[in-house]
Amino acid sequence: MTTRPTIALVGALILAMGVVELLRLRARRSGSGRRFFAHRPAVWGVRILLFFTVAALLAPLVAPYDPAAQPGIVTLQNTPPSWAHPLGTDAYSSDIWSRLVYGGRVSLGVGLLATLVAMTVGVTIGAVAGYAGGWIDSLLMRLVDVGLAVPRIFMLLFAVAYWNRIPLSILVLLLGLTGWFTTSRLVRAETLSLRGRPFVDAARAIGASPTRVLIRHLLPSALAPIIVSAVLSVGNVMLLEAGLSFLGFGVQPPTPSWGTMVADGQAQLALAPWTSFFPGLTIALVVMSWNAVGDALRDAFDPRPEHA
Amino acid sequence: MNFRVSLLAIGALPLALGCSSSGSCKGDYCGTVVFVTANNPKTLLPPVIDNTGARDIDEQLFLRLADPGMTTNTIGDSGWVPRLATRWEWDDPKTLVFHLDPRARWHDGVPVTANDVAFSFDAYRDPVVNSAARNSLTKIASVTVRDSVTAVFRFKEQYPTAFYDAVYQMWVIPQHLLAQVPRTDWLTAAYGMHPIGDGPYRFVSMVPGQTLELVADSTFFQGRPHLRRLVWKFVTGSTVAVNDIATGQADAIDFLGSPANIDLARKTPGMSLVPYPGSNYMYLELNTRANGDSSEPHPVFGDRDVRRALTMALDRQAMSTNVFGSYSKVPPGPIPQWWPIWDSVRTLPFDSAGAARLLASRGWRLSADGFRSKDSVRLSFEVIFTSTSGARQAYARLMQAQWKSVGVDMQIQPLDQNLIQDRLSSGKFDAVLQGFNSDPTPASGIVQHWTRGAPDHYSHWVNDDFDRLVTQATSVASAKQSKLYWRAALNIINADAPGIWLAAPDNVAAVASRIADVRLRPDSYWALAWTWRIPADRLIDRDR
Amino acid sequence: MGGVWLIRRIAAAAAIVFAVVSITFVAIHLAPGSPFLPPPDRPLDTAVVARLNRQFGLDQPIRVQYVRYLKNLAHGNLGYAFSRGQTVRAALATTIPDTLLLAGTALSLDLGLGLILGVVLAARARRATDVILSNLTLFIYSVPAFWLGLVLVFVFADWLHWFPGGFTNTPGLYENLPFFGQLGDRLHHLALPALTLGLVGAAGTARYQRAALLETLGREFVRTARAKGVRERRVILVHALRNSLLPLITLAGLSLPFLLTGSVLIESVFSWPGMGRMATDAVLARDHALVSGIAMVASAMVVTGSLVADVLYAAADPRIRERAT
Repeated sequence: MTTRPTIALVGALILAMGVVELLRLRARRSGSGRRFFAHRPAVWGVRILLFFTVAALLAPLVAPYDPAAQPGIVTLQNTPPSWAHPLGTDAYSSDIWSRLVYGGRVSLGVGLLATLVAMTVGVTIGAVAGYAGGWIDSLLMRLVDVGLAVPRIFMLLFAVAYWNRIPLSILVLLLGLTGWFTTSRLVRAETLSLRGRPFVDAARAIGASPTRVLIRHLLPSALAPIIVSAVLSVGNVMLLEAGLSFLGFGVQPPTPSWGTMVADGQAQLALAPWTSFFPGLTIALVVMSWNAVGDALRDAFDPRPEHA
Repeated sequence: MNFRVSLLAIGALPLALGCSSSGSCKGDYCGTVVFVTANNPKTLLPPVIDNTGARDIDEQLFLRLADPGMTTNTIGDSGWVPRLATRWEWDDPKTLVFHLDPRARWHDGVPVTANDVAFSFDAYRDPVVNSAARNSLTKIASVTVRDSVTAVFRFKEQYPTAFYDAVYQMWVIPQHLLAQVPRTDWLTAAYGMHPIGDGPYRFVSMVPGQTLELVADSTFFQGRPHLRRLVWKFVTGSTVAVNDIATGQADAIDFLGSPANIDLARKTPGMSLVPYPGSNYMYLELNTRANGDSSEPHPVFGDRDVRRALTMALDRQAMSTNVFGSYSKVPPGPIPQWWPIWDSVRTLPFDSAGAARLLASRGWRLSADGFRSKDSVRLSFEVIFTSTSGARQAYARLMQAQWKSVGVDMQIQPLDQNLIQDRLSSGKFDAVLQGFNSDPTPASGIVQHWTRGAPDHYSHWVNDDFDRLVTQATSVASAKQSKLYWRAALNIINADAPGIWLAAPDNVAAVASRIADVRLRPDSYWALAWTWRIPADRLIDRDR
Repeated sequence: MGGVWLIRRIAAAAAIVFAVVSITFVAIHLAPGSPFLPPPDRPLDTAVVARLNRQFGLDQPIRVQYVRYLKNLAHGNLGYAFSRGQTVRAALATTIPDTLLLAGTALSLDLGLGLILGVVLAARARRATDVILSNLTLFIYSVPAFWLGLVLVFVFADWLHWFPGGFTNTPGLYENLPFFGQLGDRLHHLALPALTLGLVGAAGTARYQRAALLETLGREFVRTARAKGVRERRVILVHALRNSLLPLITLAGLSLPFLLTGSVLIESVFSWPGMGRMATDAVLARDHALVSGIAMVASAMVVTGSLVADVLYAAADPRIRERAT
C-alpha cells in the first residue's frame, strides 16, 4: 500500500480511538455516561463504528485503489492478502480492502438512512396514535399489526419483482417503510403514559397546539427508548440490506456493498475464501458494534441488573 | 443393564439398520448415475424444448432415425449409426428412403411407424409449434409414408448436408399421443411433463425444479441398457452443481467451466475429468432495433460503427483467460471450437483508444460524469443473462469495467431463463449475454442463428450478402469450397458486429470413475449413457 | 380462561390476514403489468389464460375482481404460477413442507441451545465465562446468517467432506434406502442449514433468556428462597427458570418471522427447495402471482404463530388467565 492511504488509515484509527477517549472524559460527569463506558464491548463498538464511518466518509483518501478498477484481470485475480493488497483481490482483480471501504458508504449509509426514515415515520405515527386516541389510534394500530404480520423480506421481494433494478434511494425508502412498526408501538405507549400527566393538561390549558405539546414535552422523555431502538435497528437493517444484495436484489454492480461482495466470493469459495470471508466478517463486526452500543445505551438510560 | 448403555444400544440400532440399503441389484444391469445441472427443463416435448437439460433427457427417451458417430460428420452419411431406421438408401439424388426397425415400440406398447415420422416432420415444421429446428428443415419438400415401416424424404434440391438435415433435427414423436393435443398448447402440454418415448430409457417421475428419474427399458430393441437408473438433479447454479460433484452427491456434470471448478473436480477422489471438443460459444447479441419497438433503430446499437467500437473496446482474450483460464479461446466469429472453419478470418482488434475515437466521431461525447452522451441521450444499455450462470455473471462484470473506461454505461440484469427467452422473442431487450450450444455443423448452427428470420436470431440484423454466402456455403459439395464461402460470410458478420464473440470454451466434463465404457459424444454429451455400465465389483450403495 | 378473549383474539388474527390479503390485491393491481397474468409475450396455454380470465374476471371492473379474488382465496385458488407451470397452491404445497422442516429443526436448536446457554450465562453472570461467552453470543447474533452458512459449507462440506453442501437428500440413493436410512440421509442434509439458522436464533434466545433470568433472580421470592437456605443451583433451575419459561413461548411464536426471513437466504445458500428459494426464483422470473402467494402464506403463518403463542402464554400464566375471565 502506498503512503497516502496508509496515513489516512492510521489517521482514521487514531481519530476513532481519540474521539472515544474524549467522549469518555465528558461522560464521566453523568451516571448514565459512566454506566455506558463500563461496558467494554460497547466501547469497542463505538471505536469500530467510528473507524468505519470515518473510513467510509474519507473513502477516496483511505482506499488505496479505485474499487471498480480491474487492473489485471489475467494476472491479479484472486490473489491472497499481501503488502500490495492487504485483504487480497477478488475474481476481477479489484482490491478487496478498497471495495470494503467504499462498500461501507453503501452499507452504513443505507443502514443509517433507512433507520432514520423508519424512526421518523414510527415516531410520528406512534405519537399521533397515542395522543389522538379513538378511531385514529385503532386504525393506525391495525396498520401496525398488518405491517408486523408480513415478514419484512417478503415485502421487499414483492417490491423488487416490480422494479427492474432498484435505485438506491428507493431501496432506502423501502427498508425504512417496512421497519417502523415496533417503534410506533413504543412511542405510542410512551405517549399514552404521559398523556394524562398534569403538565400536559396545563400546556393544553394555555393553548399550546398538540404538535407543540408532543415535541416539547412528550418526545424528550421518550427519547431514550427511541434511541436504543434506533441503534439496535441499524444493525438489523444492515443485515437485511446485505441479504438482499447477496441475493442480487439490492445494490447493483459496480457499486460495492458488503453483501454483494460476499455473493461475489461464493463462486470461488474453495479457491479464494478471503473474497467472501472479509466482507462477511466486517458485516458481523459492525452489526455487533451496533448491538453492543444499543445494549449499553439501554443500561445507561435504565439501569437494571439484567442489563449488565 | 445400565440406563446409559441401553440408551446407547437403542440409539445405535437405527444407525445399524440404516446403514444397510435395501437395494438388491447384482450383476451387470445395475447402477444409478446422477447427473447434476443448473438447466432445469420446463417441458420435455422434443419440438419445443429450449435448454440443454431437456435435450440431454430427451436423448434418453426418444430416438432419431439415425445418430451421428463420434466423428460427428455431417456431409453425407458416413459414420452415422442406425437408430429408428435400420437402413436407408437414395432412390434418386433428391429422394431418401428410410426403413424403420419393426421392433421399435413406444413405451406404452404401440409400435413406432412411418406415420410417426411424417407426423413429427409436420410438427417440427409447423410455425405454431415454432421449433428451434424449423429453419433447418426448409429444404425438405415432404415426408411421406410408403408403408408402415418405410418413410420417404423428398428434398427441394441436392446438397451435401441433406442426410444430416433429415435425420438430426428431429426426434420422432408419437402421433397417437399428440395428434389430438392442439398445437397451440404444446408448450404447456401435460405430455411434456410426463413423456412417453421409444428410447432406451423410460420416464419414471419428475419433481419440477428438483429431480427427474428415468429407468432402463429392459426390452429396448437395440439392447438392454446396463445402467438401471438415470437420475437428474436440478440445482440453482453452476457453483452448487460443482459442489455436488465435489461432495459425491452427483456422478456427472457436463460443463465445469472455470479453472477453479476444474481443479476442484480433479481433486475429488472418484471423479475423472473428460475433456472433449467444445461445442458452445459465448457471445453478446446486440439488438439493432429499439428495445420493445422493432420499427425504430436502437439508439445505441443501430449504428454499425458504434457496434464496432464497442467490440474494439473489449480485451476479449484477457476476459477469456480470467473466466476460463487456459480452457478457452476467443472465437473469430459465432463459432465453437469444433467447427472446422476457424482459419484466417478478419476480426476486429482490441483497441480502446481506437474505440474511443470511433465513438467520439459518431457524436458520442464524454460528459463530466465520465460517460458519453449524444443529443442528451446517454450511451447506456442493459445486458441481460441467466442468473444461474457464473461465467456470464463474471463476463458481465468484466465488460462493465472495460466499457466504463471508454465512457460506456452498461447495466447488469440477471434474470430467469424463461423470462429472458420471452424478452428475446418479443424484442424487449438491449443486449443479451448468451451461450449457444451448437449442432455439429455450421450449416444448421449459423443458419439457425444469424440469417434473416432465423428462429434463434434476435438481433434483427440483416445483411443479404451474408445470407447469400451462407446459402452458398451450405450448398456446395466440397468441404474446401464451402470453407471459402464460410470465411467470406464470417468476414462480413465480424465487420458488421451484430454480436460480440466472447469465448469458445473447451468442454471439460466430470464423470465418476467407477463408470466404465464412458464415451461422450461431442454434440450431446450424455447421448451414449445407454452404453455405459458399472462393473459389478464397483457398485456403490446407490447403484443397487 | 375467557372464551370471549379467545374468540376476540382469533377474530383479530383473521382480520389481520384479511387486511394483508386486501393490501396484496391492491398492490398487484396498482403495479405495472397485468395482474395474475404473465407478461403478454410469454406463451401461455390458451386454456389456462381462459381459465384465469374466468376465475379472476380480469376484464371486469376492480370491484368485481376483488370479490372474485376473495372468493378464489376462500377456495384455495391463489392463481397460476406461470414460472413453474403449476398453480400457486401446488407450488406452495411442494415447497412449504421443506421450509417447515428446516424452520422447525432450526427452532428446536434455537430454543434448546438458547435456553441452556441463557441459563449458563445468567448463572455465571459477570464472571469470566459469562464475559467470553456473552461476547461470542453477541457475535453470532450479529453475523449475517447467509455468510455463516457459506463458512459452514466451506469448512464442513468442501474441506472436511463431513456433510453435503445442499439439497434435502441424495437423489439416486435415497429411494433405495430403508426407512432409517432415509431418515439418516435427510438428517445428514438437514444438519448444516438447520445449524446455521439455529445458531443465530440461539444466540438471540440466549441473550433474551439471560436478561429474563437475571431479572427474576433479583426478585423477592428468589431472595426468600435463598434466605431459606435452598442450594444455588436449585434456586436457579427450579424457581427462576420456571418463571422465565413463559417468555420462551412468546419467543417461539415471535421467532417465526426471523425463521421465514432466514429461510429465504439460507435456502439459497444450501439449494434447499423450500418456500424461500421459490420466492427468490419467482422474483427473478417476475412471477407476481407466486410472489404474492408466498407473501400471503408467510403472513398467515406469522399471525397464526403469534396467536398460538398468545394462547399458550395465557394458558400457562395464571395471572393472565384470571385477568381474562
